[in-house]
Order: sequence, then C-alpha cells, then structure tokens
Amino acid sequence: MATGPLRFRTPHIEELPIAQSRQSAGFAWVAVSTAQDDPAKNWGTTNRKRARASLGGQTEQQKEALSARVQRETERKIKELNSDNSRDVVIDIARKPGQSTGGAFKAGKTTGTKKILASGKTFAHYLDDEEAEIARTGRRDGDADVPAAAQRASKTPLARRKPRADSSASHSPAPSVAPMAPPPIPRLQTTDSSAAPIPLDGFEDDDEEEDDKDRVPRMPTAAEMEALLNAPPLTYNQARSAPPPAGMPPPRLFCETCGYWGRVRCMKCGAMTCSVVCKDEHDQSRCLKMYA
Amino acid sequence: MARQKSLSTTVLPPNDLASRTLILDNGAHTIKAGFSSHLSSTPVSTTSCHVIPNCIARSTRDRRTYIGPELTTCADFGDLAYRRPVEKGYVVNWEGEKAIWERTFLANAAKNDGSVLGCDPAETNLILSEAPNAPVSLQRNADEMVFEEFGFGAYYRTIAPALNAYAPSPFPSTSTSPAGIPLECMLLVDAGHSHTTVTPLYHGRPLHPAIRRLEIGGKTLTNRLKELISRTFDVHREDHLVEEIKEDVCYVSPTFTRDLERTWKGGRYDGREVDSSVVVDYVLPDYEHIKRGFYRPHDTDVMNLRNRALGIGTETGRREHVVTLGNERFTVPELLFTPSDIGMRQAGLCGTVLQSLDALPEGLRQAYLANIVVVGGTSLLPGFVARLEGELRASVDEGTVIRVARAESPVKNVWMGGVRLATDEAALRAVVVTRQEWAENGEGWVRRRFAGKKGPGIEMSTPKKLLATVATCAIPIHSIKAGAAMGARKAVESTRMPSMLSSPTSYPIRYRTDPATAAIVTPAQTPDRTLGASSDPLTTAS
Repeated sequence: MATGPLRFRTPHIEELPIAQSRQSAGFAWVAVSTAQDDPAKNWGTTNRKRARASLGGQTEQQKEALSARVQRETERKIKELNSDNSRDVVIDIARKPGQSTGGAFKAGKTTGTKKILASGKTFAHYLDDEEAEIARTGRRDGDADVPAAAQRASKTPLARRKPRADSSASHSPAPSVAPMAPPPIPRLQTTDSSAAPIPLDGFEDDDEEEDDKDRVPRMPTAAEMEALLNAPPLTYNQARSAPPPAGMPPPRLFCETCGYWGRVRCMKCGAMTCSVVCKDEHDQSRCLKMYA
Repeated sequence: MARQKSLSTTVLPPNDLASRTLILDNGAHTIKAGFSSHLSSTPVSTTSCHVIPNCIARSTRDRRTYIGPELTTCADFGDLAYRRPVEKGYVVNWEGEKAIWERTFLANAAKNDGSVLGCDPAETNLILSEAPNAPVSLQRNADEMVFEEFGFGAYYRTIAPALNAYAPSPFPSTSTSPAGIPLECMLLVDAGHSHTTVTPLYHGRPLHPAIRRLEIGGKTLTNRLKELISRTFDVHREDHLVEEIKEDVCYVSPTFTRDLERTWKGGRYDGREVDSSVVVDYVLPDYEHIKRGFYRPHDTDVMNLRNRALGIGTETGRREHVVTLGNERFTVPELLFTPSDIGMRQAGLCGTVLQSLDALPEGLRQAYLANIVVVGGTSLLPGFVARLEGELRASVDEGTVIRVARAESPVKNVWMGGVRLATDEAALRAVVVTRQEWAENGEGWVRRRFAGKKGPGIEMSTPKKLLATVATCAIPIHSIKAGAAMGARKAVESTRMPSMLSSPTSYPIRYRTDPATAAIVTPAQTPDRTLGASSDPLTTAS
C-alpha cells in the first residue's frame, strides 16, 4: 500500500513502494460524502423529517442553517407586526390653494428645513446612520464626556462603562452648567465609601439575627445622584429591553388555527396545531397552499 | 456660529417668554394639543386638550385624503390606508408632520373643524414631547424645524415620560403639589402606540442609564389581532376597524392558562362547550347603517347565525357580518407580558421594569417600586395594571412595597404635566430655549440642554430629601412590629416631603448611617428647613 511522501520537515524522504503487499481484507473502508448522495440508502423519502433523522443526521452547518432560517422568518414577522403602514401607500399631501407665500413656494423656509422636508429617510436610515457614527467615532453628538468606543459600538450600558480620562471634544460652547464627566456609577455593593449601613440598632431585640437578609441597602450620595442625573442618554439600541434570562421556560407555542396550545407539529411546514380537527383544517387550507 | 434669522423678529424682546404656551404631546397615534398660560391662574383641565389623530389617511372609497384633524369628518372608515409621520415615537417624516401641524394649530389653516387651536407661533412658546433615546439627527431636525420653519419664539423639547412628573399623582394618598413642582420620584411605564417605555424619574428628570424600551405597543397588538381575525375574515387593510375591535373587546387576563382552557372548542373526540362569557360575537360596521361595531355574547345557535347573516332579525334589518372572538381577546394583550409568544426576544413588561431597576443603585429600588405610574393608551386595556402589579409582586422580595397606579387620563396625562409645567413661570423659564439662544449657541448646546444637563431649576439639595423619603420607605420592610406598621404605611404612602411631615408617624426613624452619607430624619419633628440644615454634613462630606 502506497502512502504519500511523509510530511516531515526533513529534507526529501521518499518511501519506496514495497513489491510485496500485505494480506488485505476483502473489503475496504470507503468514505461516503453525504448520506443523501449514497444511492444505497436513498429510499426515495421525500419526508424531510425522516430524511433528517435517518440518513446520517444533520451536520452542524445544516442545523445552524435551519435555525437561522427560522429565526429570519420570525424576525420578518415581527418587523411586519411592528410596521405602521399596511401596504406601500403613496399619499400625496394636497397642497392647499392660496397658501401664504404663493405657488412657487415648495417647502421649507430655509435651506435646512427644505432638506429636512424633502428627505425621504425612514427611521431605519436614521438609526443606521447613528450606529455608523458611533462605530466610527465616540458618540459625537455632544455627549463628549462619554469615552469613544474603541472599534465597535459598545453595547455595554453606560452605567457599566469605565470612563477614560477623555477630553471634551465639543464643537459648541458648553451649556451654563458644564457637564462633568460622569464618574463610574458604582454598584452599591462595593465598600468603598465609609457608610456601612448600620442595621436597626437599638430597635426591638430579636430582629438582629436577620441582619444579613434585612440589611437595608445604602442610599446613594448626592454625588452619585448627580452622576446618574447627568449621565448621557442611551442610544436607541442600548435602551432596548434585553432578552429574558436563560433560565426562563422556552417560548410557548400556539395552535395556528384556533389559538389553543400547540401540541402537534405539521411535518411538512412545521406549524403547530392543537388537535386533529385543527390539523385537518390546516392541511386543507394553510399548509400545502404555501408549499405545493 | 450665529445663524442668520430669516424671519422677522417678534415684537417681544428676544429673550422673553411669550404669554401663551402651546403644549404638543406628539405621539405616534395621536397628538394631544392645547394651550396654557403662565399668566393666568385658572387651572387647566383635560377638557381643553384636543386629541388629534397623527396620521394621514387615504380612503379608497371616498378617494379623499384626510390629514390629521380632518379624519373626524370621515364617514367611511372602511379600507382606510394610514401613513404616520411619527415612527417608533419620533417624527421622521417632517413633510407629513408639518401638514398635520398646520391643520392643527396654525392660524392660517382654514377649515379646522371646530377646533380652536389657532395660534401665531412667533408669539407662543412650545413644549414638545418625544420618545426617549432619539437618534441625534432626529433631535436636530426637530429643533431646526421648530425654530426655522414654524418660527416659535421659545421652545422646550422633552422626553414624554418626564412631563408626567408634573401631572397630579394618581396615588390617592399623595397630595397634589402646586403647579410647576414635579413629583419627587416616579417610575413611569408609558404603554404607547409604538412601544412601551420604562423611565425612572427623579424630580422630573429622567435617569437615563435606566430607561428601557419594550418594542411592543398598541400598534403591535393591533397588527397581531389583524392576523388572528384574518384567519376567518380578512381584515388586513382595515386598521381603524381592528383598532376599534381591540379597544372594545380585548383585555388582559390575570390567569392566562386558565382562560385559554376555557375558550378551547375541544378536540375531535373531546368537544367542549363554548364559554359564552368569554367568547363574543363582534358585529362589523358597514358604515351605512351600522356606523360603529359592537359586540354581544356568543350566540351558539346556528340558526340564529344563519338568519343574521341573511339579514333576518337583526337590529338594522340588514345583513350582519359577525366575527367571533374567543381567545384572541386575551392572547393579543398577553404579548405585552410575554413577547416570546411571537418569538420576540425581549423580556416582558415586568422583566423590563426589573431591568430598569437593576440599572439603578440598589437603595433606590424600593422607592421606585413604590411609585409606579402607568400612562399611555395601551394601558386602558382592562386588567393591565392588576397584571403588572401581580407579576412584579411575584418577582421581588416579599416585604417590598409595590404600588402601581394608572393615571386618571392615561392618554392626556403627559399633556396635563406639560400644562402644569407651563403655568409656573419660573419652571418654564428655566427649561425653555429661546430663538436667540439657539441662534447664538447652536444646536449642539440646545440639544445637551434639553437632554437634561441643566435640569429645570430644582435646588440641588434635593438628594437629601429623596434619601429621607426613601429611608422612611425602606424602614417598613424590615422588622417593623405590627403596631408600627400602620404608621409606617402612612409614611410610605406619601412621596413628598411636606405631606410626609404633616402626617407624623408613631415611631422614630431608625435607619442611621454615617452622617457622611445620609441624613437622620425624624419626620415628626423636622420641618423642611431644618432638614436641609441637619443634612449639611452630606454636602460637606461629599
């Protein structure tokens, strides 16, 4: 049996093929590329679930692709739910006859306002612009005290960022009360300040054993309140509510037809129904219509 | 970088306030607009607030376009296509918004359908509200439009939750503060059209690191209801109708699983009775004879259904289109509390509130949990407040005090707050930016100012007041004997210093820390002045 040249970092060593071969078994292991390509195993199942399960299982990539598709579907559905205009409506705002400044008046009294009135940007544009700006520089909108994010937009809430001793690169004169660089808003478990809260001493007796649990949390100092109040506003994406913690129960699934709990998944399209009745209705009207 | 003013200056000296203030609560669904004046002392009530749909609607049946307030003249709301200039709470499309504003309050807008909101911008101050966390360019655009295009003399742009602090508190035990003085601490849940925001406020100033936004709002609920109804009757293009259905029929169920069981029609071998207390029939309007839909309990009799569909025995004598709504009634608002039902990866409303509190120092949490105010149109859903309160109680320690209240008029509350802010000249003067200042200092300065770098004229000694208030709130949690609990509750229920002092408690405050950090407060004996004095170690130490 011939192997390739040995791959050591030595100067060229060549293994000479030996004339006499070993007793080989009557078979050889052959690598089959994917289960679906192996004609011996292809019974002609069009059932995707059985195909997935039996023919060698799914590769990691395939699993990922599946969940990514599902995810994209959900995202699209959610975006549709959150959209205002049901279809692309072109509504002309009728210009009222006899406006104050006459017919040649298009829109806007200054160049700035003309541009604003004529711009067709949607909210997604503005948001993307702002994210791009933040990624490029630190937030340049006058929250100059916030340190510039290094290379990518920091998703850390401002409360947890550590500020750099940064300059104030403001373009306009500072407002009358100059914003100070917000010190790191401390999580009050730290013992940096001298105020260890003294739990209720001198009060009635038997509560002292519950000191640990009942430790009254420390009030923030005036400086901390000031820091909180003067902290710059979060960006749009930072203020989003975060996903629930991982320990939560998985999302609930509902029947597509009637809205009860979903208990049965349609093999073809993956939709949940609650019972045979609903499943029949789904099969007739909603299922193959999409995928036929 | 002084800008050239392209408009003529007003007759008022440039740095002075006009006498009238227009308060515009610019929401995604409606604009709440009205006037207030700091020169008059008559209290303004919610009746002088005009609620104007903030949309441009095109009706294919009438072939007319209704802009803003004209929508009230529309007779046929069927198949009405909307376009909203406010997206996600911020004004994005100024062309549309300008058209709506012109018809709302500009004096030269001719047919205003009876609304008396005409005004001359040059002689009016403006208080404008927007959603929190706006992208900077949108803020800039707003400032520029207000000053240059409309020509207002002075203007204050704020985030909508902040104005709620000036409105009267919905908690029955808190006394009403005089106009212009904000409530001390409040956690505001604004359940609006585009999203739901949780904002902690301190003396009317928002604590920015703790603002959180849940991207489910009335609009999401309406669209979800559209999808669910469209399983039987296609309503994808009927925005107005489905909104009415949602407002009439949807509610938040305190026990979701149980209600879902009740409305199941059963499996094939397991048929169940339809529960008529929950399932309703909604009669759709046809805008000729039935102008407005209505609902009645579900009629299980098939003969009746057939008759009504044919028009026999109906109220109007015409055919009725009926849609049966069962678990959609409470499944749709459930989205607010469990967004994962549609696959959205955000925590529900309770989780969002807890996240917001996590971003605050630990000592403040009790204070804010005890002062949760709910505003916004979506909060009008029955059962909303109770459900929120129940979920919060289940998530925090047992002894924590939680009070959740909805404002008396959730839709107009922000406007009320703006009105009361505007009636106090000192407060107004402290926050407003005049055209002169804008021209001199530029838009960056103005934006920082609006973001709260300089708050609306509160004396800076207030942290002590908060500490004192919170201290008294904190005490009842831990180891109060039953007898003193009543007194504790009395102290807790008032969040403002004067009212707290006026209701003497039966026990002295025991919470004592080092004088370096907090004040020792004995509310029964310490009037306002000496409180400030006795907490002096605070300022000297910090």
